[in-house]
Formats: sequence, structure tokens, C-alpha cells
Amino acid sequence: MAFREKSAWVMMVVMILTGGFYLATVAQDPGAPVLVAVLPYVLMVVLASIVAQVALAIWSPREASAPADERERMVADRASRWSSTVMEVGVVMAGAAYLAFPNGNMLFHHAIFALIIAQIVNYAMQIALLRRSF
Amino acid sequence: MGKRPPITNRVRELREEHGKMSQAALGDAVGVTRHTIIAIEQGRYSPSLETAFRIARLFGVGVEDVFGWEGE
Repeated sequence: MAFREKSAWVMMVVMILTGGFYLATVAQDPGAPVLVAVLPYVLMVVLASIVAQVALAIWSPREASAPADERERMVADRASRWSSTVMEVGVVMAGAAYLAFPNGNMLFHHAIFALIIAQIVNYAMQIALLRRSF
Repeated sequence: MGKRPPITNRVRELREEHGKMSQAALGDAVGVTRHTIIAIEQGRYSPSLETAFRIARLFGVGVEDVFGWEGE
């Protein structure tokens, strides 16, 4: 498995697990104050990402330090396009939800969920495209 | 995206003619990963013009000796 694919798998798992934690926190109180819900989530994402990337770099030091090649850059661009669309739809849905439930904290949480889902889609698309090429 | 590009290539054949050069060595020489060389050889990925020229020059042949067009 190529290094970029391993990295995408690891980051997708990190986003799913930390996103699940955030979802569980917000599900208990959908209008939870932003900092109470987001701060632990952001810390978890940052720490888990650093640990995962360092572990990958130790495992494959040569590939980790190599820049992305033309095919990998193309894959990253296409995956970003898909995740941007997901993010746009998610933000519009968050805005629509705000019309029904005018709560600023809830709007913030919905926007963060859109971002989490967009990131998961980005990594999933990278995996799919790296496997299929073009 | 799932469609194969209508481009054929002789990369594997030329690699074997050149002392059975490994995919990793070819990738290093032309600036792509081993996985990209594998994708090119399997016809799943069409390289950029620059990489196509780098591959051809490495083998000392013209681009059209490495890559061909099989579409209409």
C-alpha cells in the first residue's frame, strides 16, 4: 500500500473516532457551549493526528519525507473538490437548521459536523482514487 | 474516471530490456513513486507529458516508442 494511502486511512480513522466523540458530546446537549464541546475535540484531533503521522513516518521514513508526485497531487486535488461540495451542502443545511432552531451554538456544531464529514469524504476519495488511479 | 485511458505503453518491456530496472528505480529516476509506475504499466494512469519525456529519455528512445494511442 502506498504511503499516501496509508496516511489517508489513518487520518480517516482519526476523523471518524474523534468525530464520534464530538457527536456523542453534542448529542447529550445540542446547544452545548461551543468551547466546552469543541476544545476537547480539537485537542484530540491535533494530538491523534500528530501521533499517527509520527508513527507513519517512523514506519516508512523514506516515503514520508518524499514530496507527493504528480498522480498523488492530482488525487489530492480531486478529493478536495468532492469534499468542498460536501462542505458547501453541509453549511447550507446548517443554515437551514438555524432557521428552524435559531441557536448559535447549534449552528456552530452543525458547521463543525459539515467540516468533519467533508474531511472524511476527502480521505475516502483519496483512498478510492489512489486505488483506481484514473 | 473509471475508464482506462486510450494510451498504451511499453514501460515494462523497456524496463526489462534495461537490465531489469526495478519500478522503484525507474520512479526515483523520473520523479514519481513506485505506485505511479505500477499504475502507468497497468494502463490505469496516463503520465504528464513531462514524465513521459523523462521516461523516454531515460531509456534513450522517443516518446512515441514508449507510448501509443489505441483510441480512434
